[in-house]
Amino acid sequence: MLKVTDLKRQFQSGDTIVNAVNGIDLTIPDGQFVSIIGQSGSGKTSLLSLLGALDKPSSGSIEVDGRDITKMNGGELNQYRAKTIGFVFQSYNLVPNLTALENVMLPMEFLGKPKRDRIERAKNLLHEVGLNDGEVLRKPGSLSGGQQQRVAIARALANHPKYILADEPTGNLDSQTGKKIFNLLHDLSLKEKTTIIVVTHDLAIAGKTNKSFRIKDGRVVNSTDRSKT
Amino acid sequence: MNWFSRGIRSAFRNATRTFALVIILGLSISLALSMLIAHQAVTQKINNVKSSVDNTISIYPAGLRGFTGGGNPLTSAQLLEVSKTTDVTSVAETLSDRMTSSETNLQSPISAGVLGRRFARKVGGLGGVFGNYGGQSFTLPVIVNGTNDPTNLSAFSHTGGGGTFTLQSGTVFNSNSNANVALLGSSIASKNNLKVGSTFTAYSTTITVAGIFSTGNRFGDSQVIMPLQTVQRLTGQTNQITSAVAYVNSVSNVATVTAAIKKELGSAADVTNSIAQAQSIVSALQNIQTISLYSLIGAVIVGAIIILMTMIMIVRERRREIGVIKAIGSSNIRIVGQFMAEAVTLTLVGAIIGITFGVIASKPITQMLVSSSNSSSSSSSRSSLAGSGSGGNFAAHHFSGGHGIFTRVKHDISSVHAVVNFSIVVDGLVAAIFIALIGSAVAAYFIAKIRPAEVMRVE
Ligand SMILES: Nc1ncnc2c1ncn2[C@@H]1O[C@H](COP(=O)(O)OP(=O)(O)OP(=O)(O)O)[C@@H](O)[C@H]1O
Ligand SMILES: [Mg+2]
Repeated sequence: MLKVTDLKRQFQSGDTIVNAVNGIDLTIPDGQFVSIIGQSGSGKTSLLSLLGALDKPSSGSIEVDGRDITKMNGGELNQYRAKTIGFVFQSYNLVPNLTALENVMLPMEFLGKPKRDRIERAKNLLHEVGLNDGEVLRKPGSLSGGQQQRVAIARALANHPKYILADEPTGNLDSQTGKKIFNLLHDLSLKEKTTIIVVTHDLAIAGKTNKSFRIKDGRVVNSTDRSKT
Repeated sequence: MNWFSRGIRSAFRNATRTFALVIILGLSISLALSMLIAHQAVTQKINNVKSSVDNTISIYPAGLRGFTGGGNPLTSAQLLEVSKTTDVTSVAETLSDRMTSSETNLQSPISAGVLGRRFARKVGGLGGVFGNYGGQSFTLPVIVNGTNDPTNLSAFSHTGGGGTFTLQSGTVFNSNSNANVALLGSSIASKNNLKVGSTFTAYSTTITVAGIFSTGNRFGDSQVIMPLQTVQRLTGQTNQITSAVAYVNSVSNVATVTAAIKKELGSAADVTNSIAQAQSIVSALQNIQTISLYSLIGAVIVGAIIILMTMIMIVRERRREIGVIKAIGSSNIRIVGQFMAEAVTLTLVGAIIGITFGVIASKPITQMLVSSSNSSSSSSSRSSLAGSGSGGNFAAHHFSGGHGIFTRVKHDISSVHAVVNFSIVVDGLVAAIFIALIGSAVAAYFIAKIRPAEVMRVE
């Protein structure tokens, strides 16, 4: 379970202080597919960065299964990022000089998994997201946007994370490809029993999730629960 | 694939840049290496020269230049006083002469050579020795050294060419002999078909060959050594001396004894010791040592700056990639390790190129440093540089340079030899790796500052 309490993140921008996250409280039970929606600049990315420990909050707490990640040290944070979280970014963010396979193997290396296991797991994941044997050995530069995002999803799932955090994962893709990618994310997370938190502008996508949080000016202004209906 | 092999692979990510970088790095490393080698060679030479400082003092009639120049010969009486000077253990006295074809039936084994003739023409007017110097054929005079210390070639190296006296056959005459005997160098002996017991004519007198010796150099093997008193008698120069070497009981007393002898002989003689000679060489060498040291430091700094700037550039360029790797759970250390592997790879490739260039370039560079410094240093240091080829060498020994000082000391700047040994190469590699690690340590600072949250931004 993920429990966020009075989370705040301020940015100093020149003379003005921006309250990107301004007192968010939310609870996400395990195995849920959750969407975060809101206007541009409302604080969605800032919130996701805090949840994934890519950024430190100004105040508040983020409890993951009872542990407050805002109080973790550097080594614990690395472990948390590698093991508990899988990130899917809008702009794919694959390492350009590594092949698709090597990109997927990378997070497993951080946990010290043996090479044989890494290769096997990476190959399986890449096949599952729909890459063939030739594509697996290609570098991101020669793959299409949709293929790159598939590799990114495989990489996010590599270490069997508890949470997938995806910031507008379909934002750079045409709507048809976006839909496929979203379905892939959905299907795989069901299979891997992963909790997914996805930031999206696409209300059609948000409508398919169990729960939606609408954010405005760094606060949750509305939450819609569809799991009961 | 782990961070290490990723680092090595990253080094060749941008082929053009890697090529340019490795070439520039290689040049700075090769410069550093050749300067290191030059510096070592010169340092070695300085130590050699310093350790060669001996307990001898050279005494020449004032103004004498080999066989040329004016000045009155020294007398036995003057040298008797020298031998009585405190701390002087012995004095080797020499009366040198050149026998022309009218004075002896001996023929010099040395052919004149082009350079020899030119030198002869230059100086011929001074002594008028070479009556026929302009013509196609003239005979070189035979050098005869009358000495009271026949086996001590260094006592008359300025006319005899130095070397080490090795008796091949016969016997050596006594130091105070007055007999009509001679020791012949092996070259002149074979040229004239003479053996121990043979005779030849000199100064209208029949001289018996008492022994035949070799010196290790062609010039020395062409001379005749006779008892001092015999030469004095035959040339009508009784009690006259053209050079002497005083031996002092200890090197530490050489300076004071030199001063005492100078005072004793006054303006009649030029008195020099190997300390002064060594000092002039050492000061010239020290210039080279300084130049090579600064160039070495400069080249190392340039190399370090190049790798430092490159690493900073690479880190800035891969800012996003570093952020991503952090975001998916890598420790800073692992990323820094990858960049260090990359820096070391680049530097090692540069070092291999640099060491190859450096080893090839070190000898000519050392030689260039030495010869440029040489020509700007005192002219006397050129004595043993002048001339090559037998004839030229002959003339050079005789007609240029002051007293052949540097042939006697057996050191001159031009004989600095660059030696490339394996340990220098290893040192160079270690230094290159060290520089690379420092370069990547700075990169590590920038790596640590990159916030993983940055990767959330859409480009
Ligand atoms: N590093 C930063 N420095 C200063 N201000 C920032 C920084 N990051 C975000 N902000 C500000 O915080 C606010 C929230 O930004 P955030 O990126 O979280 O919005 P968002 O909801 O993700 O918007 P979008 O839908 O456009 O991606 C914005 O006003 C933004 O300008
Ligand atoms: Mg955003």
